[in-house]
Amino acid sequence: MNAFRASYFDGVTSRQHDVEVERVNASTIRVSGDGIERIEAVGSLRISPRLARITRSIEFSDGARILAADHELLDDWFPPEDRLQRVVDRLERHAHAVAASIVVCLVMGIATFAWGVPWIADRIATHVPAGVEAKLGDEVRGQLDRFFGFTNSTVENSQQARFSKRFSNLTSGLAGNEHYRLAFRDAPGVGPNALAIPGGTIVVTDQLIDLLDDDREFDAVVAHEIGHQQHRHALRQTLRSSFVLVIAAMFTGDVSSASAIVIGIPTFLLQSHYSRGFEEEADRFAFATLGAHATSPAWFAAAMRKLDEVHDGGKSREDGIAYLSSHPSTPSRIAAAEAAGEEFIANHPDLIRETPGYDACESDGICPDDDDEPCEDDDCIDADEAVENVDS
Amino acid sequence: MEDQLVVAAAAMPLPPVPPEQPFANSPQVFEHAFVFDGRASEYFRIWIVNLALSILSLGIFSAWAKVRTQRYFYGSTRLAGVPFEYTAKPLPILKGRIIAVVLFSAYILAGQVSLALQVGLALLIAILTPWLIVRGAAFRARYSSWRGLNFRFIPDYGEAYIRFLILGIPLILTLGLLYPWIKGKQKAFIVENHRYGGSWFKLLLSAGQFYPPYLIAWGVLMAWMFVFSMLMFGMIMASGALRSGEAPPTWIALAMPMFMYLGYFVVLAFLAAALANLVYRHIDIDGRRFRSSLQGRKLLWIYASNTLAILLSIGLLIPWAMVRLAQYRADCLSLLAADDFNHMIAERSIGIDATAAEVDGLFDIDIGL
Repeated sequence: MNAFRASYFDGVTSRQHDVEVERVNASTIRVSGDGIERIEAVGSLRISPRLARITRSIEFSDGARILAADHELLDDWFPPEDRLQRVVDRLERHAHAVAASIVVCLVMGIATFAWGVPWIADRIATHVPAGVEAKLGDEVRGQLDRFFGFTNSTVENSQQARFSKRFSNLTSGLAGNEHYRLAFRDAPGVGPNALAIPGGTIVVTDQLIDLLDDDREFDAVVAHEIGHQQHRHALRQTLRSSFVLVIAAMFTGDVSSASAIVIGIPTFLLQSHYSRGFEEEADRFAFATLGAHATSPAWFAAAMRKLDEVHDGGKSREDGIAYLSSHPSTPSRIAAAEAAGEEFIANHPDLIRETPGYDACESDGICPDDDDEPCEDDDCIDADEAVENVDS
Repeated sequence: MEDQLVVAAAAMPLPPVPPEQPFANSPQVFEHAFVFDGRASEYFRIWIVNLALSILSLGIFSAWAKVRTQRYFYGSTRLAGVPFEYTAKPLPILKGRIIAVVLFSAYILAGQVSLALQVGLALLIAILTPWLIVRGAAFRARYSSWRGLNFRFIPDYGEAYIRFLILGIPLILTLGLLYPWIKGKQKAFIVENHRYGGSWFKLLLSAGQFYPPYLIAWGVLMAWMFVFSMLMFGMIMASGALRSGEAPPTWIALAMPMFMYLGYFVVLAFLAAALANLVYRHIDIDGRRFRSSLQGRKLLWIYASNTLAILLSIGLLIPWAMVRLAQYRADCLSLLAADDFNHMIAERSIGIDATAAEVDGLFDIDIGL
């Protein structure tokens, strides 16, 4: 190629001139035709960087320009203006570079959501003042009343006082426990549940109180929620979701102006992923707290079983505010609680009678019915007498 | 109905034309279609490589990526056989981005320190907004060119502050009733301060004419809310929740906002199409007029399917979605002119820095036509 056809614009009018661009020698070109006759040193011209198939433009120092269809030789004729973009152009045309770019973007994208977002959100969470968190908590409680039909509790005052005492017993000695408060709310639409609200309040529904038979089950459930509070899960969850929201908006905002729904879905998916980690953390806290208060973590398993049965007959589900009961991994969480319970008993064999479902009759031979028929001969030793016999 | 509107627009008396323009003698009007010939496969390569480089360079390369993307879309759009050109350089854009990021970080960090400081910064950003809009439009116009002539945006800051800030006061006082009128004023400001070479853009539209599309959109949204509320009420009744005195089931509380968003999404697509058509059909550039035939139905389909495709492809179909939208927009736009565009003349112009265009982009201020 020694010449090519192009369009010439003088930069003063919009008139299009059909011209021929001819290479006179390595440093000079000639533009001629349609009333135009220019001989220019290539050093004074600036060519736009190559990009896919788009038209190249060669700018003269006086503002005139040539528009020409892209050709590989153009970069040999005219000195490249921008070496960086020349490299980028080669990468864009190279299949391997494109494949590598896909890998880089996917890996970085996944890493951002898996570690980047939680990391940044948690750094910020440590700097959020307690006042802001408390305000957020008030907002959440208002929403519970408005959208989920939470109303004043009907649990008797004496009962509330009993549970509150157990609650303060569990929280005593914990960092920031002066902000912790137990609140009873009636929530027929939601059912048995407990929620850790930002700012330190733990809401327990009347339905949960009705469901649980043993105060130690209450301890287990509340210890789990205290775990959420200790690790500020509600706040961290909110921050993570908003980061996902911002990132999603950045990407979808370009393409469709109505991105409200768009953002909702990935946020929802990621939220359940994040909250799963939080649940496990709160569970571990609950096991440790129960153990420290001489209660077997197996009580947590007992409470979970009851909750699971109530919520959709054992089938797990997502219902947006269910922090405690209905998570995808309920069976594995129950199993973990059972395992923690066994470990607890191994360390405290004396407390075996304090575990849920403990059958004194089968394990120790201490059966209530036996007491009704006292022993008549020496072959049989009464449970009550057994100790005396050993002593004598 | 749309065709009638276009005919009506084309038949409108042309404003007086300067005598040096020869086409005034020939009444025949030609329709020049905007042609977009970008390809998703081609743009995908540009997009993914530039995105990867932006990530690896911690965002620094994003200025180059922006220039390459803009150049691709401008260069793939032709009018009367000549492509548009985006002539901005990456370095000023990088500078603008750094300022934008600093401002945005300051805003975020201010929230950590004190609420008052953040409110103060938000106020400052609000006060800066008209200035940013003007500077952003000026930057984009300055570096857009066609047939060797630049576009230009006249930076009229006084008018910008009136239309983008001060008119907010009557807007609040009238409880939002003035919104369409103010939107019309703002669109007119953006259009009428644009020049191409020595040609001025005019908007042959009174701000009041923006009411019909907005009123229809509001009406449909209201109707949607009403029908939906009735449906919800019916379902709650059917489930017997009210009779037994219980609170409505949880899923209803969650379905409510989802359905509201759905209605909003649909109405927004139709409104966007109606407004774009309204504005484009009434722009006059020395007697040249646009024909715009966007359809809300098709725009909605493109928005919805783009969204779904992006989600399902974890973002990899973003280039396809962008090309598709640009394609549809170009397909629906043409310029009605009696001349061959050979006789427009340049106007002396000055450089405008990129900060505003970039700050604008970050805070996502909608100033598109």
